[in-house]
Amino acid sequence: MSSVGSEARQIGFTLIELLVALGIFLLVTGAAFALLSSSQQRYQTESQVLTSFQEARLALDQIVRDVNDSGFPPPSFLITGFPRNSSSSPFAWSLGAGYPGASCQIAPPGGGGNCTTATAGLTSPGDFDLIVETDPNPLDPSCPPNPCPVLWIRYQLQGTTLYRGTAQKASGGDPDTATSTQLVPFVQNVVNNSSSGQITQYQLAYPTMFPLNAPVPIFSYNCDTGGATTPCWSAGTNNAPANIRDVVVTLIVSTPTPDAKTGLPRIVQLNGRGRRVNPNQ
Amino acid sequence: MVAQSTMRKRQREAGIALLISIFILLLISVVAIALVVSSGTESSLAGNYRSATGVYYAALSGLEEARGRLLSKNSDAFTTTNASGFLPATGIALNMGDTYYLINPVGGEAITPWDTSSTYGDNQFGVEFGPSGFGAPTNPSPTALSVWNRNPLLALNLPGPLYKWVRINAVSEKSAGIDADNDSLANNTVPLYYDGAHFSNNPLAGPQVLELTAFAVLPNGSQKIVQYLAAPTPLNLPNFPAAITLAGDSANTVPANSLSYSGPNSPSFNVDGTDSFRFPFGSCTATGNVYAGIGYTNTSDNSQTNIKSVQVVAHASDYKGTGAVTPNVLPVTMPPSLQTPNDYNNLVQTITKNADVIITPGSGTSPPYTSYATTDMTSLGMSPTNPLTVVVNGNLDFNGWHSPPGPGYGLLLVTGNLKYDPDASWFGIVMVIGKGTMTGSQNGGGEVDGATLVAQTVNPSTGASLTSLGPASITFSGTMTGAQGFYYSSCWIRNALPTASYKILSFHEITQ
Repeated sequence: MSSVGSEARQIGFTLIELLVALGIFLLVTGAAFALLSSSQQRYQTESQVLTSFQEARLALDQIVRDVNDSGFPPPSFLITGFPRNSSSSPFAWSLGAGYPGASCQIAPPGGGGNCTTATAGLTSPGDFDLIVETDPNPLDPSCPPNPCPVLWIRYQLQGTTLYRGTAQKASGGDPDTATSTQLVPFVQNVVNNSSSGQITQYQLAYPTMFPLNAPVPIFSYNCDTGGATTPCWSAGTNNAPANIRDVVVTLIVSTPTPDAKTGLPRIVQLNGRGRRVNPNQ
Repeated sequence: MVAQSTMRKRQREAGIALLISIFILLLISVVAIALVVSSGTESSLAGNYRSATGVYYAALSGLEEARGRLLSKNSDAFTTTNASGFLPATGIALNMGDTYYLINPVGGEAITPWDTSSTYGDNQFGVEFGPSGFGAPTNPSPTALSVWNRNPLLALNLPGPLYKWVRINAVSEKSAGIDADNDSLANNTVPLYYDGAHFSNNPLAGPQVLELTAFAVLPNGSQKIVQYLAAPTPLNLPNFPAAITLAGDSANTVPANSLSYSGPNSPSFNVDGTDSFRFPFGSCTATGNVYAGIGYTNTSDNSQTNIKSVQVVAHASDYKGTGAVTPNVLPVTMPPSLQTPNDYNNLVQTITKNADVIITPGSGTSPPYTSYATTDMTSLGMSPTNPLTVVVNGNLDFNGWHSPPGPGYGLLLVTGNLKYDPDASWFGIVMVIGKGTMTGSQNGGGEVDGATLVAQTVNPSTGASLTSLGPASITFSGTMTGAQGFYYSSCWIRNALPTASYKILSFHEITQ
């Protein structure tokens, strides 16, 4: 019997054994759950970064493609009476600033210039506003009578959302008002035009970003001068939307929420360059 | 029993350990896979953007290669590498519907874009020209190999840009979506031409508009089609105000710096400012406008007296031109961009940059003369359809420039003295800028049709640069006989203008 009882005791566990096993189990699962929770936070933040990154990449690709194609068809395609079938200029500006007959001056860094729009303080072409004039698909069968008219394609930053809108070019029309009613959100959480307080926040996590401690223009322009291509604001008499050759695009996007682990903001900066190939006359 | 029970206990413990290890392994794997997947997506997104940019530039490089090789003065020009069978001869328009392909195969692959079912088939052509009645490219189309498939680059085995083909063809109003003549009809049979500002259906308006379409594919499958419309544009030269223009310092009052001209005592020698086309070819017609016979810029010095010299007055009726002035020796104005020696030096540089042939002077004689015979000029193969821009950096002697090897066609620029032989004929533009002297004393029946311009920018003895234009001179000896003379011809002038480049008239990325 005693041998049977001893066998039965051997089958079960002592309290010590159980406590030790439970302790080890708790340690292992605790570590595993800590890892899991940390990875979840990480996954959450990284997937947000990824989404922002992807959205910005696609936007950058589209902006660069529109800029490359700007000014098609050039003014040499103009037929008297049909200005809507050719581009007056690769990049449009507002009727109030003289479009298309009288040109305007693109602002130097920090604002200025006189390519004003109906929105006070906003210039186009400007740091955060650009109207491309092009005909993406003149043979598109969906818009008879062919050829399809030229479009004004506008990119405008409002707050932290970059909007995109297209409107058909119309004789005597205003590229500014025509596109302003067509804008739809294109990229969210664009932080190029942040306040100095936010910039300080970003620089805690990314010391090299916003190097001038000031908003970073989404669009900066280089103009043809007959010689070297220089930044438009320093191109003197050649400072005009029709002379823009390169548009350097800088998109800085942040995640919707700060990093779940560190609490710091996560931002991504993307750079691209569109080059107008079409002649401007 | 003891042994069995111990065994059971061991088995149960082993099971728990296994379960725990599997569980932990699972957790770690999930985290690891999530991380790998996440960074993988990120890098593939960056890859997408990179390949989109890469394929864009690959296609653009195809366009640029074709545009460059259309220009006959380039070393790999189609006229050099594919002298026959590729594009029509110079001056002949491409027909609507005809297609020519520049192909760039990699590793011996076959590229037959006219076969729309082939790997790199050209479906875009049908989209553009189907409505005009050309559903598919010419089968087969003439092809030329890219520079990457030709030596010396081929031997270097460099990886070239990954464009597959570039199509060269004519465009019509219909295919380009343009109503060039504003008649509300989209013509689909007449090729478009470019008059320097706009498109036209008129072949006389200017050079033909060519469409270049490049297709690029990367190994990862990214594709792009981009398109140029391009037309050759001539070098921008000043208008010629006279059959012979002597350009000097218009403000000069110093007698020694006056322009001068002396003519031959020959009844057959004419200087005529009437726009004519004495040996017509092609479709050009003379405008009938009348310019000056001899034009001079200096009105405050002895130029007029110098030019109205003995033989000119004696043969006054042979110097014809605008107004009822005989001999037709008239003051003319050069444009503001051509007033100083520097302006003319810039013009010489521009022409030299666009020259087909640059000849440097021979040596030995004093002054060293370059005889046409000792140069490549005999073998240049100039013709009305192949006018060349020839720059002679020094003196040129035309002695014996009979036909053949003459006459010359195109633009002749001599920076030294031009020793004219009346045997010689030149159809186009003759410029003597530099020493600014032209002499002649022999016999012959040749003529210069087009325009002649003489200007002095350096001291003819020392070669030193002048601060204002010097006394340019034309000195034909009284005994020079037989020459037909100098006739103004806008057709020959236009024909002689060097093609500066194939200008991009438009650029467009095709939506796919």
